[in-house]
Amino acid sequence: MSDILRISLPLTVWLASFSAVYGLQGIACSQHWAAAGLDVATARVALTAAWIAALAVQVAFVFVLGSPRFASRSLFVRTVSRILAAAGLVTTLWTLFPVVTTSVCI
Amino acid sequence: MNALRRHRELERIWSSRPGWRGKLTTVNNNDIGLMFVFVATAYFVIGGILAMLIRSQLASPHSAFMGPDVYNQVFTMHGTIMMFLFAIPLFEGLTMHVLPRMLGTRDMAFPRLSAFGLWCYVFGGSILIFALLAGVAPDSGWFMYPPLASTLGSPGVNADFWLIGITFVEISAISAAVEIVTTVLLYRAPGMSLEKLPIFAWYMLVVAVMILTAFPPLILGSILLELERAFGMPFFQVAQGGDSLLWQHLFWIFAHPEVYIIFLPGAAVISTVLPVMARTTLLGYRWVVVATVALGILSFGLWVHHMFTTGLPHMGLAFFSAASTLVAVPTGIQIFAWIGTLWKGRPEMHLPMLWIVAFFATFVLGGLTGVMVAIVPFNWQTHDTYFIVAHFHYVLVGGFVFPMLAGLYYWLPHFTGRKRYFKTGETAFWLVVLGFHGTFLLLHWAGLLGMRRRIDTVEAGSGWELINLLASIGGFAMAIGFALVILDVAVNVAVSTRSRRNPWRAGTLEWAALSPSPSYNMASLPEIRSRYPLYDDPELPARIARGEGYLGEPRDGLRENLAVDISSGRPRCLVIFPTNSVLPIIMAAVTGGLFVGMLIKAYWLVPVSLVGMAVIATWWAWTLGSGEDQDPRPVGNGLVLPLASELKRPPGWWGSLFLLLADVVFMGSLLFGYAFLWTVAPNWPPPAYLKPGLLGPVLVLGGAALSIGGIRLAQRALRHDEKPWPGLLLNFAGLVSLGGAAATVLARTVHDAHAFDATLWVIAGYVIFHVIVAVLMTMFLTLRAVVGYLSSRRIGEANIVGLWSDYAAVVALLGLGAAWLPGAFT
Repeated sequence: MSDILRISLPLTVWLASFSAVYGLQGIACSQHWAAAGLDVATARVALTAAWIAALAVQVAFVFVLGSPRFASRSLFVRTVSRILAAAGLVTTLWTLFPVVTTSVCI
Repeated sequence: MNALRRHRELERIWSSRPGWRGKLTTVNNNDIGLMFVFVATAYFVIGGILAMLIRSQLASPHSAFMGPDVYNQVFTMHGTIMMFLFAIPLFEGLTMHVLPRMLGTRDMAFPRLSAFGLWCYVFGGSILIFALLAGVAPDSGWFMYPPLASTLGSPGVNADFWLIGITFVEISAISAAVEIVTTVLLYRAPGMSLEKLPIFAWYMLVVAVMILTAFPPLILGSILLELERAFGMPFFQVAQGGDSLLWQHLFWIFAHPEVYIIFLPGAAVISTVLPVMARTTLLGYRWVVVATVALGILSFGLWVHHMFTTGLPHMGLAFFSAASTLVAVPTGIQIFAWIGTLWKGRPEMHLPMLWIVAFFATFVLGGLTGVMVAIVPFNWQTHDTYFIVAHFHYVLVGGFVFPMLAGLYYWLPHFTGRKRYFKTGETAFWLVVLGFHGTFLLLHWAGLLGMRRRIDTVEAGSGWELINLLASIGGFAMAIGFALVILDVAVNVAVSTRSRRNPWRAGTLEWAALSPSPSYNMASLPEIRSRYPLYDDPELPARIARGEGYLGEPRDGLRENLAVDISSGRPRCLVIFPTNSVLPIIMAAVTGGLFVGMLIKAYWLVPVSLVGMAVIATWWAWTLGSGEDQDPRPVGNGLVLPLASELKRPPGWWGSLFLLLADVVFMGSLLFGYAFLWTVAPNWPPPAYLKPGLLGPVLVLGGAALSIGGIRLAQRALRHDEKPWPGLLLNFAGLVSLGGAAATVLARTVHDAHAFDATLWVIAGYVIFHVIVAVLMTMFLTLRAVVGYLSSRRIGEANIVGLWSDYAAVVALLGLGAAWLPGAFT
């Protein structure tokens, strides 16, 4: 089962972080954000921080799945999981870059 | 024992009873798979007839063929049947039939669950077809948006048929998915490690996990909408704190992955059949696996692109536009792998290959228009037009129906033992392909000219008349083509001559079995050393038949099979499979009572059915396991293995784990819905949040501690051959306490006052449901301990109960915690 987790985790974590950032953006544009005394600039900072955290997790996957301690003993699983970890990193970079390029709530 | 005697003995053990009664009690994968395929084909015919009614209506302006009320039912049922009653069950049936032999095993993981899923599908689908014949079919479109589908827009029973019938059918999809995941991971020929898995199995593993994670949001949405319709719980009513956009989120979190759930089995067939047709092996196996996994997960991050016109902020649009363009990459990897496979091989243009060529020509176009609609400004222009209708028909027919027809003709000699003699299939191919493009290529144009989907008539002078007339002519040509396919298959099955084994000279293991496949699938289980065992060892079929693999000697009339280690494929245990049984069909019928009770508002039938289901489930589980410790048994080739019932984690534990994955997603969807309403819905906050008080939190914290601690105490006692009663008693008390905590929420809220209250009712109901399941399982475990079915070696059942008991505690902590959270801070 650990080999299945090695293969499936990086993109699953992307999905979780992608959904979480989308949820954070929803909260940042809701009445609750303003009620807490926060503004749009703070929302941008929070979203960017969340993006960087998501990227950091994906970078960690790339290294961990390539390390002798955590990599699979199967060459096939090792190769597939590393490619998918790289895919997770690129996917996080590509799908969440709007946090720094588009308007937050308009 | 010679090969013929072995065959007869195994047939006696594994086959269904003779006659039509045998079909009602069979649990064999070959029977169940074929019955799925037959029923799905019947639904395809019905859905196809509805499509022709649509094309008849739109063939001329101001057609009086159907009124809008009937037309609404016809297009809704066309979409519903094709998506839920045809596509998914068809590939499930194909998979159940072929997969065990491909993997070199003797059946699917849980044969009675296969049969239960089949009957749920048949009964659930029948409810919808009854509605169609009775003129009360769903009429709000296949995605049932409220308020059109709520009591405001659909006051009759039409929408109820959809919500209840489809949820019933989804039980079938979930059970098949649990089967497929467990089978691929645990039931393979010895030596078949993950890297030697047939590519078809990789695809189906991903698809099955997708079903487990995509269907729960729709099941939740259907339950919420039905609760709103039946009891006025206002989840989608804006005035009372609901939001109709919640339905759209829940629906599309399901329905976008659904598109890939339908496409990936088609891709599985292409990746299996195309290399054989090209006389080579699949190029880039690892990259195809990577692409399949990536596509499966990425597809869950696209759902909002169906909602681009709902007024989202630019950032939200950009997230989902970016993700939507990204799926073209893994899709492209597969396409290039297939083209590369053709390039390195020597393609032969047999009929399956013709369908694959049609797939390329159609699916690539559908994929490209998919990238177009991923771009927000274009999406705004074409949303809800015939451009979208044309796009998804290119994807679904091109990406699923054409590959399935390639698969049908590829495996037909294997299913029937006959070679195709009559060549009607080629004529049918050209009629279908030309008819399809004649219909839907033109409809892109109609969409770009502004023709909206779901309109019941074409206005004269709109500029769409000629396009629709030609599209209708194309549609009828396609329908005649599909009818010819069915005729071609029927005639060839009935009167063609015998085929030799493996006529395509394929390398995968299913062709090592006799054709048509015997009920036991494999006379003995071979040791696997590569992805294409028959290329490495052409003598393998004969050696399997001679019993030179594992389990080559039938023993005691038992249905014996091997389970293996997930990664390495090393044999782990001997599994005794259940025999034919009437339980699955009875269980499905009683489950049907639950749904029918809700549909006809005979609510007394609901608890009666639930009690019936609990009784049958107990009966079902009671027949498993062993009353005494048993020695490991020889399984052939000098190997001795323990019985599955003596593993800490038997296959049933894994099946429970995968089912719980669906349950976790359901819970996650429920919490998402709650957070969505709290964040976005206009009429929030509610008049008052629920204050946690003291009693509820004490009950839930104490209950969780007792339940989690108690089951562990019981497991520990069993491991030391001691009495498990104290632990079981603590677990029972803890579960009751959790149920009590949930009851305090129900007691202090009014179900139809506000969406907040309604949501809390669903959360509390969900907790109580799981508490009841865990209580029943604990009582079952207690009984099993009393009669001696548990010991230090036979502890698997206690671990299964532990999973469900722990999950009940976790959902109580999380769910009730979320219910009290806003009240604790206001």
